[in-house]
Amino acid sequence: MARFGKYKYGFHTPERYVFKSKKGLDAGVVHEISGHKSEPLWMKDRRLAAYSIFGKKKLPLWGADLSTIDFDDIYYYLKPTEKMANRWKDLPPEILDTYNKIGIPEAEKKFLSGVSAQFESEVVYKSIQSALSKKGVIFLDMDSGLREYPDLVKQYFGTVIPPADNKFAALNTAVWSGGSFVYVPRGVRVDLPLQAYFRINAANMGQFERTLIIAEEGSFVHYVEGCTAPIYTTDSLHSAVVEIIVKKGARVRYTTIQNWSTNVYNLVTKRARVEEEGTMEWVDGNLGSKVTMKYPSVYLMGRKARGEVLSIAYAGANQHQDAGGKAMHYAPETSSQIISKSISRGGGRTSYRGMVYVSPNAKHCKSKVVCDALILDEHSRSDTYPTMKINEHETQIEHEATVSKIGDEQLFYLTSRGLTKHMAESMVVNGFIEPIVKELPLEYAVEMNRLIQLQMEGSVG
Amino acid sequence: MTLNVINLHASVEGKEILRGVSLTIKKGEVHAIMGPNGSGKSTLASTLLGHPSYKSRGKILLDGKNIRLLPTENRAKAGLFLAFQSPVAIAGVSVMNLLRSAYAARFEKKTASKTVQNPVLARRMNIGGMSIGDFTDMVKSYAASLDLKEELLSRGIHEGFSGGEKKKIEMLQSLVLPTKFAIFDEIDTGLDVDALRSVSKGLEQLSKKGVGVLIITHYQRILHYVKPDVVHVLVNGLIVRTGNASLAKKIEDEGYGTFR
Repeated sequence: MARFGKYKYGFHTPERYVFKSKKGLDAGVVHEISGHKSEPLWMKDRRLAAYSIFGKKKLPLWGADLSTIDFDDIYYYLKPTEKMANRWKDLPPEILDTYNKIGIPEAEKKFLSGVSAQFESEVVYKSIQSALSKKGVIFLDMDSGLREYPDLVKQYFGTVIPPADNKFAALNTAVWSGGSFVYVPRGVRVDLPLQAYFRINAANMGQFERTLIIAEEGSFVHYVEGCTAPIYTTDSLHSAVVEIIVKKGARVRYTTIQNWSTNVYNLVTKRARVEEEGTMEWVDGNLGSKVTMKYPSVYLMGRKARGEVLSIAYAGANQHQDAGGKAMHYAPETSSQIISKSISRGGGRTSYRGMVYVSPNAKHCKSKVVCDALILDEHSRSDTYPTMKINEHETQIEHEATVSKIGDEQLFYLTSRGLTKHMAESMVVNGFIEPIVKELPLEYAVEMNRLIQLQMEGSVG
Repeated sequence: MTLNVINLHASVEGKEILRGVSLTIKKGEVHAIMGPNGSGKSTLASTLLGHPSYKSRGKILLDGKNIRLLPTENRAKAGLFLAFQSPVAIAGVSVMNLLRSAYAARFEKKTASKTVQNPVLARRMNIGGMSIGDFTDMVKSYAASLDLKEELLSRGIHEGFSGGEKKKIEMLQSLVLPTKFAIFDEIDTGLDVDALRSVSKGLEQLSKKGVGVLIITHYQRILHYVKPDVVHVLVNGLIVRTGNASLAKKIEDEGYGTFR
């Protein structure tokens, strides 16, 4: 836990809850959550059905060690404040304080287009540019989405990731709270990224956001989420589900910077269904958490659909980042690219886990997988677990993997320019991930560079 | 301003390569060190900057202060610069980014911002007391003076650069970063005539700014473009002869044979 003491954002603000469920999970808690939100009956039924699947599913036998998660020691629902704040200045001061510590400068706060910040289990702050609603774009927290657009939600909810997909998808479906609901009408381009800041702020509290994005034909949207969390002594669970539907010719980019404190289990299922000539891009940065298991997926269902996964993982002491991507080709002429860059340091462990599947008769598909690992010391570890299931001969599949270290000559070169060893190291690391960082919105790129720098400075060994 | 090297020894893996080198370079002077392969020229360059692979003894006095035991970055901050013979590429670290960071590191106090806490962000707005725009203009004008293509500045340093581009990028850094003494290790190898001219223009600029220059070279090609004030001949880790520019001419005519 050496890194804990150095963890920059390790602070938390006093708890201010209106409602808090009891610890642990049973059908009663599921009833209570649904009832508290006054949900339609169908949602309550789905939650209960998912709860029973959750009980039957086993923990995955592959990937990271999840044996220390105590499902009975977690609060499954919290509601911090009664009303949602609509303007920045209406935020409770402790939340503002949190943002200031994260270091979002004033100028950049203004740049944020529609900021939706999740504090505890529910979105407390949301500011939507009026332009969005004029274009017919819906950007709500998921609870409001369900209340205001029940038919849309019912039509798509759980269609990309059914509860039986895996144990954590079932858990999320049973107890989900918060997350975002985004709907972009046909032909509409959302020019500024939609952004959401996430935050966990209670010991033993699980976060189970549920995000659903529907991009109608020919539309475009970029959704950005970033999170930082305070430190707690007991393990905390974050298990989100993100479902995205990319219709014909639409394009969706989903960017995540995850920086949970290093006691959090971050077990997320993210999947997009992409129709004809649609494009899905996942940009996924995993810096924090104790354990991350996350493999953003693209299901390429229509001819010429494209999918891309760009993934960065950083693992320091006591961290295991098991990340990667999945590209499932179910139609001809579909193409995918998975680029993974991982950094392990101070005994940290990164794993690339990926899957490329091509179904029979999905002719002329192309897929390229590149995974590069940077290992900064001999205590750290990096593994690659690529799986390819290619059932069609007329395909073009490439796979490249490299493992590298920071060279002494690189360090000498940079220190000879007057940079300290730590600065030199963080510069090399930032250079290594630059191909992915340059895809991030500016303020995230800055934050990312800064976080890498802090990680490099923050450790002695 | 003086760089005083006194009885400098250096060894790598127990093998002594420099066996007591002494030389004195004053402000604005151009010195050339010539010597055959394996005479210790590059070792001298690396040792002056404190490469961790070399063990050294003796003195390296910069303005009277012995910097021999300082870490590399502090020698750089004291004003010592090394242009590498074969600089390593660093993927994703652009020339401009490196220059910004290195320059800001020299002027840490001036770079720190009271309003912006995030130093990465601060560095985008203010570099060593200069605005980002002024800094960029300065770098670009030096680059133009070396006939460097501007697009190189935004590429990963030395990544896929030609031999000539590498040498010019090294030269560019010596001009942008505050430098008192600059060492050029084989600055002329692999350069065509045009590049040689650009590089020698850079050397002139440095010398005019008062920077003491030490050119390390096997051949005297560069010396047709830049006239050194002092020429040293290094053989087997020792300076065996010191003279004026005519010494280089003698080597051109007779080779190193007479000095062995």
